[in-house]
Amino acid sequence: MGVPAFFRWLSRKYPSIIVHCVEEKSKECNGVRIPVDTTKPNPNEVEFDNLYLDMNGIIHPCTHPEDKPAPKNEDEMMVAIFEYIDRLFNIVRPRRVLYMAIDGVAPRAKMNQQRSRRFRASKEGVELAEEKKKMREEVFQRGGYLPPDEIKERFDSNCITPGTEFMDNLAKCLRYYIADRLSNDPGWRNVTVFLSDASVPGEGEHKIMDFIRRQRGQPNHDPNTHHCLCGADADLIMLGLATHEPNFTIIREEFKPNKPRPCALCGQIGHEIKECQGVAREKKGEHDEFADTVPVSEQEFIFIRLCVLREYLERELTMASLPFPFNFERSVDDWVFMCFFVGNDFLPHLPSLEIREGAIDRLVGIYKDVVHKTGGYLTEHGFVNLERVELIMQAVGVAEDNIFKKRKEDEENFKRRSKEKKKRMKAERGPAFVTGGQFAPRALGGRDRPMPVHNARHTAYDMRMQGSNYQQNKDAASSLKAMLRNGGKDPAGPSDSTDLHGLKRKAEDSDSEPEPEDNVRLWEAGWKQRYYKTKFDVDETDDEFRKKVVKAYVEGLCWVLRYYYQGCASWKWYFPFHYAPFASDFKDIKDMFTDFEKGTKPFKPLEQLMGVFPAASGNFLPPTWRELMSDPDSPIIDFYPEDFAIDLNGKKFAWQGVALLPFVDERRLRAALEKVYPDLTADEVRRNSLGSDVVFVSKSHPLCDFIKELYRSESYEGTGIPPELCFGIQGALSLEEDPILPDKPVESPIPMLRDIPCSSAVLIKFKDPQYEDNYVFKAVILPGAKIPQKVLKPGDWERSNRQPWRPQLGFNHNRQQMHLDQSAFRTLGHHVSSPQQGGQHGPRPPRVAPTMGGQYSNAPPPSTYHQGNYRPPLRDHQHSRQQGFPRNIPPSHPPQYPQLVHGAHGWDRAMQTQVSAYQQNIQRGRGGAGGFQQHVQRPDDRRPQEGYNSRSYGLPPPARRYNWN
Amino acid sequence: MRYVVLLCVCDSYHITVMAEGSNRQDVVSEYLQQNPHLAHWVESLRELSETNKHWHARREFVLRNMEVFPTIQPGIPSSSLDRLLSLSKVWANQTFLGCSYPQPVMDKVKEMAEGIGVNKSPVQMTKDEFVGKGKRPSVSAVDAESCVKKHKTVPNDSDSKAGEQNTDCPNAAAVKSGPLPEAPAEHQPFFNRLYKTVAWKLVSAGGFGPNLDHFEILRTCVESCKASLTCVFVPLKDIPDLPAGCTQREGQVCELRCHAVYVGTGYGRDECAARAMASKEALKTFQGRKVMVKICRRRFQGRDVEDLVLLDEQPRSSILPPALSYPF
Repeated sequence: MGVPAFFRWLSRKYPSIIVHCVEEKSKECNGVRIPVDTTKPNPNEVEFDNLYLDMNGIIHPCTHPEDKPAPKNEDEMMVAIFEYIDRLFNIVRPRRVLYMAIDGVAPRAKMNQQRSRRFRASKEGVELAEEKKKMREEVFQRGGYLPPDEIKERFDSNCITPGTEFMDNLAKCLRYYIADRLSNDPGWRNVTVFLSDASVPGEGEHKIMDFIRRQRGQPNHDPNTHHCLCGADADLIMLGLATHEPNFTIIREEFKPNKPRPCALCGQIGHEIKECQGVAREKKGEHDEFADTVPVSEQEFIFIRLCVLREYLERELTMASLPFPFNFERSVDDWVFMCFFVGNDFLPHLPSLEIREGAIDRLVGIYKDVVHKTGGYLTEHGFVNLERVELIMQAVGVAEDNIFKKRKEDEENFKRRSKEKKKRMKAERGPAFVTGGQFAPRALGGRDRPMPVHNARHTAYDMRMQGSNYQQNKDAASSLKAMLRNGGKDPAGPSDSTDLHGLKRKAEDSDSEPEPEDNVRLWEAGWKQRYYKTKFDVDETDDEFRKKVVKAYVEGLCWVLRYYYQGCASWKWYFPFHYAPFASDFKDIKDMFTDFEKGTKPFKPLEQLMGVFPAASGNFLPPTWRELMSDPDSPIIDFYPEDFAIDLNGKKFAWQGVALLPFVDERRLRAALEKVYPDLTADEVRRNSLGSDVVFVSKSHPLCDFIKELYRSESYEGTGIPPELCFGIQGALSLEEDPILPDKPVESPIPMLRDIPCSSAVLIKFKDPQYEDNYVFKAVILPGAKIPQKVLKPGDWERSNRQPWRPQLGFNHNRQQMHLDQSAFRTLGHHVSSPQQGGQHGPRPPRVAPTMGGQYSNAPPPSTYHQGNYRPPLRDHQHSRQQGFPRNIPPSHPPQYPQLVHGAHGWDRAMQTQVSAYQQNIQRGRGGAGGFQQHVQRPDDRRPQEGYNSRSYGLPPPARRYNWN
Repeated sequence: MRYVVLLCVCDSYHITVMAEGSNRQDVVSEYLQQNPHLAHWVESLRELSETNKHWHARREFVLRNMEVFPTIQPGIPSSSLDRLLSLSKVWANQTFLGCSYPQPVMDKVKEMAEGIGVNKSPVQMTKDEFVGKGKRPSVSAVDAESCVKKHKTVPNDSDSKAGEQNTDCPNAAAVKSGPLPEAPAEHQPFFNRLYKTVAWKLVSAGGFGPNLDHFEILRTCVESCKASLTCVFVPLKDIPDLPAGCTQREGQVCELRCHAVYVGTGYGRDECAARAMASKEALKTFQGRKVMVKICRRRFQGRDVEDLVLLDEQPRSSILPPALSYPF
């Protein structure tokens, strides 16, 4: 869901759900990069089974990154994508399945959002180019210097849409990449790799959900599979909760607010395009050696543990004395449902519910209040009970008036405060120049007596020089330099023109613009009439129309929930308005929805392109198709406005506003395309067809022989996977026309990467297990699933009078703490000059830290997360991480936690336990005939009673101690 | 004292279909009642999310332009029907959503929609507003920029900052009063046609000169373009913004507008003379190589307002006379 605020809200309210990733970096030795051995236990002290990649979250930052220069061509983009996947693989180290899903054709309900994103991107691109040009001229006139404009074409990010050549190429490259890694990387050897490319309909994350749901529905599914899903979208959290899998973790890039961006004009960091001065770049370091180091650190990853979120939710949602038995799983579903009111990709959010104003808390409050009236849950397995929803909506509706008033009040307060703050800052700034030295101002009646002034003329001269020279010199030097670089073409005097432009710039400053008038004025009586009049252009009296909007919204809620729990109910349905109704309008909604049209089909990829692209992106389409977007006589010309209005709808920025684009008429689109279908080339016909998921395994995988057999016997109809071969994963395999076979070469589609002379990968088409049409996937915890250990501090901990509460920092509850021995303390004392200050040093000298380390974790400190305007979350029951070395620890600290499984710190023992832990993991997958350490036989007796998560992993010793051979 | 003379020009076609306000809808409904087969069919063309108002306007558009596409047969889907529907949507999107399309499409639709009067949506969010409020500083459209320059030449416009704000965010002003930012583009096709008509008329009258009945020429031209001239008369002494040097206190001033676009002002002893002078001034504008509709800032009742003005292509150095009426 495109709700950036949702994740922020969630991580602030439930801080313990976040665990920082421990990432083992590859090392370089004599200029050769040594890859990380991912067969080793996961340094995060948890083992994941399945890793799912929502590829669009990877493709976008890799093709047009915001914080570094963009890749020069498509090949570089592909390599960037490969590196990104490698990095994720190294962090997560899945042991069973890697599932890559690229967005395919989306349901119609999503199309309007896609449309508006692409129309906006196109519009912004044009505007940026224009502005760049204007600023360039201005800077040159002033004698500034700018690097020459790159001739390369701007990468149109709109090509990241199913059906384009780029996506087709990407699919090819990924096939090569997977084959390469399966052949060459030992960590991949036993992993089953699924690739669902853009030719398979459905959004990436929903294809993943479909996979999980369909695997869960069949009897061989391992209920304790540990899933890890990669993606930044907030709705992944909802989707993860909706699976009701107990072990579900999301991995995403750490969200860092206020990251500096390079100026689009000169490429330097520290100013925006409109402030660009065209000044020569400052030298970084004495010899400019830090020139290309971006001052921000590499993007780090965080885990979001849904099992911890479930714990939090359990606390929040549990209700006593209910008229019906409380079922936590059902209440989670209701929570997910209520989050949809606040925002999702398919419906505009209700005007009164704003996540920044605590809308979800409000909803939960109402939910608990109303539950006695509703007498049950709002949803079941993704089906909505509208009667009960109406009660919730009515309760929200009662508060609506006050919400709007409060919103206005808060806004006014905020404005007032920031104005005052500005004023204060201004007042505090003090005069521009204060005399120093013997002329420094002194308080009257101070203790020190006034001294006679010495050598006043010389001091005055110094002050004069200091004041004028410094700034002027700097200005003059920089503009002189710039002039030289421009070849001295520009005779304009630098100093006065700078002033002129400086002044002009100020007047144009967008910050001082008045806000557009809000005609709806939700805080004044009559808001509802005004809202309908301004937004929908209907009169107060038009109840029928209002009902129509509500009905569509109700359908939308049902559709969205169904989409999350059962898959796409209708490819055709969409919400045909730009705005949502009010909560108080939800009256008599019980009969507004019965069911969706059955048997709807998704668009074909090229058809979808016609539906979401502006005419400016028409170059991704065949010529005759493109013509339909601009020809005045085209029967669908109305879909492609050149420009459109954006209604800010009470928001501050254009990107938050509503793009008022017309909706696409499906019938007319199809009719118009019928005529140009014959113009497609064979390649385009192929790109336009619906594809299939594919699965890859390497030669050492038990499934490989089975697949080879299929190819040999040329059995073309789908064959089910025997469950014992692949951790209980099921599905139908069918032969691929263009297969990758073991011991055959694979050609590299990228010139800079070499061909694989003899791949050990095999590829075959895969189809998810099929169910009957009206099969309902149950939203329940599966029998046999073990709920992971609790992480949060129990509410009655103090009363039970046990030992002090020890917060859990990572995945492993029994994380082994390191301790300092005597020699370590000696070293520490040596390096930390004054031992009294030791406590403030935090994770100090790096050369000391790895060898010992007191009670600090091997995860990075969380301080980076709380940068900028991010307020540190309340530390109620979460990791209050102890940074720095405790001063009063005796030199030989006794093991603090006797319940540790492996108390020994010896190198041998630790190594052994790791091996066994991993071995165990392999054993757990029944068919795990992996290549790793097979000779070590472990008695299997411990496994059954130990839950997956209660398995304790020994802390891996510092990686450099590994013996690489 | 001020009174408005509306010179209504209606040819027979306009009278039947184009009466004012609700009457027009009645005419459409009546027509549909007489043709029930058509009524049923046309209703099937309505879109799910269309409000009554939007649909009625679009229905009128479709019905009026049916004969342009003779191959359309009610009840049978055809590509010509789709083209008509598409154009009707173009028109509706332009009118109600604030979308803009390539100029040829806009011109075509403008022509087809002539005579269908709708009250615009109460809010018109425009591209300029988006640009103005976006994260990037404004890159105004060409119109807006030329408009800024215009403001600078108006001496009364002491508060230049206000002028800039208005161009960055014309909506703020437009919502309260003033022409919509897209209005010039909308009116331009009409004045292009009027320009041609005037040119031919003047040719047949022997060229522009002092001995013509300027008002008669202008009126007939406007009427043959199916529009009407609005004359507003104000006694000179009632005008607040007269230049200081002006000592005249008697006589009438006439302002001519067409489609709410200002075309000229004239002064005379009585109304007829003033009107003739205003027409002469207006016809002068048509002597250039082309005419352009622009939004300009001028005085009206002691305040600065934005007005729709017809200009020739030469950059106008003189100050626009104060407006006498303000139809926005």
